[in-house]
Amino acid sequence: MIPLQHFLFIGAALFSLGLFAVITRKNAIQILMGIELMLNASILNMVAFGKYDKIDNTGQMFGLFIIVLAAASVAVALVIIMNLYKRTKNIDPNKANSLNG
Amino acid sequence: MENLLSSYLILCLALTVITAPFLSFLLSLIFKKVAPAIGILSISTSFISSVILFFTVWKKQTYHFAFNWINIGNTKIDIGILLNDLSVIMLMLVSCIALLMHFYSVEYIKTDKLKYRYFAYLSLFCFSMLSLVIADNLFTLYAFWELVGFTSYLLIGFWFTKEKAVRANKKAMIMNRIGDIGFLIGILIILSHFHTLDIDLLFGQSDLFSSSFIKNDAWVSPFGIMPSYWLTIAGYCFFTGAIAKSAQFPLHTWLPDAMQGPTAVSSLIHAATMVAAGVFLLLRIAPLFNDVVLITIAIIGLFTAFMAATIALTQNDIKKVLAFSTISQLGFMMLAVGIKDNSAAIFHLVVHAFLKCLLFLAAGMVIHQLHHLKEEKTLTFDEQNMQNMGGLRKLMPITAVVFLIAACALAGLPFTSGYLSKDAILVSVFEYADINGGLFWLFPLFISITSWLTTFYIFRVVYRVFFGDFRLPKIVSIPLASLNLHDPNKWMIIPSVILSVFCFGFFFAYNPFNLDSSWVYNGFNLQQHNEGLYPILVPLYINVMSFAIIGVTYLIYAKQNIKLNLETSWMYKLSYNQWYFDAFYDVFLIKIVLLKAKAFYWFDRNVIDGFIHFLSELTLSISKIAAWIDIHIIDGLVNGAAALVKQIGIWLRGMQSGKLQHYFIWMLMVVLSFMIYKIVI
Repeated sequence: MIPLQHFLFIGAALFSLGLFAVITRKNAIQILMGIELMLNASILNMVAFGKYDKIDNTGQMFGLFIIVLAAASVAVALVIIMNLYKRTKNIDPNKANSLNG
Repeated sequence: MENLLSSYLILCLALTVITAPFLSFLLSLIFKKVAPAIGILSISTSFISSVILFFTVWKKQTYHFAFNWINIGNTKIDIGILLNDLSVIMLMLVSCIALLMHFYSVEYIKTDKLKYRYFAYLSLFCFSMLSLVIADNLFTLYAFWELVGFTSYLLIGFWFTKEKAVRANKKAMIMNRIGDIGFLIGILIILSHFHTLDIDLLFGQSDLFSSSFIKNDAWVSPFGIMPSYWLTIAGYCFFTGAIAKSAQFPLHTWLPDAMQGPTAVSSLIHAATMVAAGVFLLLRIAPLFNDVVLITIAIIGLFTAFMAATIALTQNDIKKVLAFSTISQLGFMMLAVGIKDNSAAIFHLVVHAFLKCLLFLAAGMVIHQLHHLKEEKTLTFDEQNMQNMGGLRKLMPITAVVFLIAACALAGLPFTSGYLSKDAILVSVFEYADINGGLFWLFPLFISITSWLTTFYIFRVVYRVFFGDFRLPKIVSIPLASLNLHDPNKWMIIPSVILSVFCFGFFFAYNPFNLDSSWVYNGFNLQQHNEGLYPILVPLYINVMSFAIIGVTYLIYAKQNIKLNLETSWMYKLSYNQWYFDAFYDVFLIKIVLLKAKAFYWFDRNVIDGFIHFLSELTLSISKIAAWIDIHIIDGLVNGAAALVKQIGIWLRGMQSGKLQHYFIWMLMVVLSFMIYKIVI
């Protein structure tokens, strides 16, 4: 039986890696990937905590919801990235700063 | 019904009398070219209306029209017209003399550029004088009194480029102001005591004044009680007004100076009509005066008559002599008022108006002709100085004759009007002294001397101007033949001839030796003269002496058989310098006033202005400090707040870098800080 802590460690590591990717990458696709990593970390946490609710399986249900929502949000995000590319011939989000203060 | 209509007509006539000159005043200023014609036309209208009024009112009925004008509480002041014997005779006198004077002025003022203005002023004067005469209450009388004074001021200074004329009109104005203050105070006393100023109500039929009485040192009227001395004060106040207007001692010095005006003006205003206004006022309110005031009036009148006569003895300026003669004769009238012989005062006023007017006209003709001569030959001499004249009877015969007639009338010789009026006063003075006795005999003594002095000075003028040799040719060294001196033309001759008719006794009395047959005198006579010896003896002894004086004067001034070397004596100097009144006023009044004015000027300049300047400096400094505070502190605070907001804004704006990942970092930091905050707290 794998203890809960291991799941949490891996989730935290995944979240941190995803966060790092989101903050440091110069490529919008990679940032999207970082976001996916963070989502996955949260799904892992959901599922891991799901073992405390064997009757309703709320954790697993939320995990599935998040996967569906992530897929939908990725679709939207990719469309945004493509539009960005169309306008600027570039997918570095830091370059798209025409709304700066 | 008929009565009503006629009283309405009389009102219309009276209004015509005063409106015509006023319209003429306005029209003369608009239609400048025809100003003399307008003036003559209007004053003729006034004259004709006055004559009709005279024959309607004289010794028949008193008309009084009053219209409500001002209401202050219970006090009502009316505006209206009072026509009684005194007003109508004055109306006729003023308008008659004014009419003749207008004719005379046409020629006299012919060459002046400001002719229209002269006639406008003259019309304004006629308006105010006629209105003064028929004013029915003291308030309107006062208003026209002032207006008369003002027009006199304008006309004295008519030749306003002459320094002397300007000084003279200023002097006349100031002297008259002193009297006017007195008049005003008198009016206020009457108003507060009787609650009305209506002359007819006060002194006329209803006789409000005699319903007041003195009891236990209190003056009781139907409206209130005052200490009795207020009655005396009121009398003195009115008398002060009369003193100034009629040029009596001590306010007489303006009249000789007023001779700077055109001679026609001197004649009309300063000899015949305006100066009589003072006497007229006294006659209007005669019942007001109690014994103390009356004796003062008599003394002042006597003193003025005597003093002015002595001054007239030595003056060389022909108009000055006549001016002092006027003062002296006004003194006679005052004396008559003072001894309660009002009818004699009025009679002498009327007679004197005609004869003095004529004297001035004749003098004016001489001056006018000499002035022409001066301008024609471009000579320099004083055309008013008698030392430049003499023997003019051959050159200007008509002038000489009319002057002589007027001189005889002034001296009071038989068959002249002056004989009747002057002797009326003299007889009254003798009777007055007879009744009172003692020191009162000084009155007849001095008035007799004055009467003889009058004869002396006026015949001195006659002989020096019209007899002897013409001195001017020698003075300017031009032969007599080349001096084309002659009588002036008919514009001047006709008025003077008409006036000379009025100087004969026949005009005033059927019997020129009997005072009681004089219609003017009888018209006002309240008490008949006693059938004593005075009415016979007094004229006799005065006239015998007068004839002697005329003879002596003839020898001194015409033949120059008797040489008088009096130029160095103190009496001559006193007389020549007009009793030093002007010098006295200069030293003791004008100097003091000027000193005071200078002191106040200094005070004003240094203390008041200094204080004001100090205040302004102080204000300036305070405002400078305030400005500094405003700029640096108040504005600093406001600007500082703005700058702070701006800096914060700039700083906050920097966060909006537009870079997606920076926003992530911010979000992360916020979430983290919340978490740390939650954990720590």
